[in-house]
Amino acid sequence: MSAITARSLHKSYGTITAMDGIDLDVRSGHIFGFLGPNGAGKSTTIKILTTLIPPTSGTVEVLGINAVKHPLEIRKRIGVVLQQPSYEPNLSVEKSLEKYGMMWDIDRKIRKERSEELIDVFDLNEIRKRKNEDLSIGQRRRVQVAREFMHEMDLLFLDEPTVGLDPTARRKLLDYLKSKVKTGLTIFYTTHVLTEAEYLCDEIAVINKGKILAVDSPNNLKNTFGQEKTITIHLLERHDGLSGLLSGISDCIIDFNTGTNITIQSSKSEAVLSQILQILIENNISVEDLSAMPTTLEDIFLKMVKDSNAPNN
Amino acid sequence: MHPTIRLIVRNLTISINPGFLVWQVIFPVIYIFVAGFAYTALIKSVPFGNITLDYPAFIASGMIGFNIMNSTLVSGIIIWNDRRHGMFEQILVGPFTRTNYILSNVYTIGIVGIISAALITAIGFPLFFTSVQFNALTIPFLIFASITGSILFGSIASIISTRLRSSEGFNVIINTVFLFFAFVSTAFYPASGAPQPLATAFYLNPLTYLVDIIRAGIFGTFTEFVMIEMIVLVSIAVALFIVAIRLLTKLDL
Ligand SMILES: Nc1ncnc2c1ncn2[C@@H]1O[C@H](COP(=O)(O)OP(=O)(O)OP(=O)(O)O)[C@@H](O)[C@H]1O
Ligand SMILES: [Mg+2]
Repeated sequence: MSAITARSLHKSYGTITAMDGIDLDVRSGHIFGFLGPNGAGKSTTIKILTTLIPPTSGTVEVLGINAVKHPLEIRKRIGVVLQQPSYEPNLSVEKSLEKYGMMWDIDRKIRKERSEELIDVFDLNEIRKRKNEDLSIGQRRRVQVAREFMHEMDLLFLDEPTVGLDPTARRKLLDYLKSKVKTGLTIFYTTHVLTEAEYLCDEIAVINKGKILAVDSPNNLKNTFGQEKTITIHLLERHDGLSGLLSGISDCIIDFNTGTNITIQSSKSEAVLSQILQILIENNISVEDLSAMPTTLEDIFLKMVKDSNAPNN
Repeated sequence: MHPTIRLIVRNLTISINPGFLVWQVIFPVIYIFVAGFAYTALIKSVPFGNITLDYPAFIASGMIGFNIMNSTLVSGIIIWNDRRHGMFEQILVGPFTRTNYILSNVYTIGIVGIISAALITAIGFPLFFTSVQFNALTIPFLIFASITGSILFGSIASIISTRLRSSEGFNVIINTVFLFFAFVSTAFYPASGAPQPLATAFYLNPLTYLVDIIRAGIFGTFTEFVMIEMIVLVSIAVALFIVAIRLLTKLDL
């Protein structure tokens, strides 16, 4: 079943195009990652999917409900952690959990139990009596994320929830999200932390300038776009004629950087590497250090975004 | 529970705190007693309609109107805080409509206004009980004043809160406006003793109408003029309310 179906979504703010024809199919019970650089249109997409703002054009169905026609029906069944902070400054941590549950019409007894559970999961015990306005940014973010689990939902939207969280809190949250998905929750997750997306998501969409560049599982993305490896060679000293010597090698992109530091990207890395080494040996050029790294999701991401920013694109 | 009621409960929870109680209860009480008795030496009595009031009774009744006005600061503060701290958006992606949100603020002001008015009436009662003319209109007049006054000043506070984002701007403007209303009115001193331009300015101020109506209810001085004041007050309240709702409905996200 599909939790989110969107077709050719456009959103403009005056002359700015924030979303430029976005199609989405998010399956139920999965974690869908939405990756993109600053200003790509991630938050705008979340605002439209959560019915906060209407699209300029296009169609959206969330949980099978038309988002423009029946926004309230959707809102009753989703949880949302927006990118911007949101808190009641003068309520204590435990009280803000409790009141948030009240706003969602959760039974008093269940509210009590849940807030205790969340205080435990999100490590809020030490600060439970402290007012939100007196918390650090990361602590406040933890409360904001924890609060959303006070109510039941079928679909959860998280807009960069881990920004400001320390590594422990971050990992705890990701594992908690994974455990929730096992019980049937669907999650729409935006981030620009690639390792997080890789750890968490079943499917990833890469977006830039309001357009989706690719959608696939992390592994397939790597297989499709990441056959190539990155070879880095450090030379003992600069060698001026080097670019001429290496110019005959095909199937690779060579970047001479500083002259002593060369990176080579190629999908036929082994053949390319042996040719390069041969040339270096023939010309008595000494190598200080050499490494070959499989391309990471981050490299793929950076490359995709760079390619899509290129003027002819 | 209905969504609007849940939001009202939430509004009351976040607004009723020690600072608010001091401002809303302790300050008026101190003012009624200290100023009421201190100024009695200066102002012996105040003619009001066809009766004469002693100054403590005059100021205590004026304080009811002042308090209704002040209590509406609540709505301005809630709306402004909700936008500043992201709760406005959070509520609107929750199980609520914008109408739920707006209505909850209107009701919150009404509730706080009526409770404030009742509280000050009860506390001020010992001061004006000798002059009180209880009649069939007393309670309806007080309730009329609470509701109309709350809507009127609540709309003003809401309009200001939707126009401003910075905290300095909001506090300065809302305090200036309300201070002006308070002191250029008949809440604390009668128009009859004031210089002509000031006395005229009093009657450009809705708080004057509000306290006139409250006094008419308490002291049984209902005249045709009070009737006109009621009509004017309701008209202004309705007009401002419409503007406030328009602005809140269009409030950007
Ligand atoms: N309210 C607004 N008015 C005008 N332009 C806006 C508004 N909100 C967003 N934009 C523009 O729309 C584009 C997409 O913004 P959006 O917030 O969706 O990016 P994002 O992918 O969430 O970025 P980030 O990683 O920085 O959060 C940007 O160019 C931004 O400047
Ligand atoms: Mg964003």
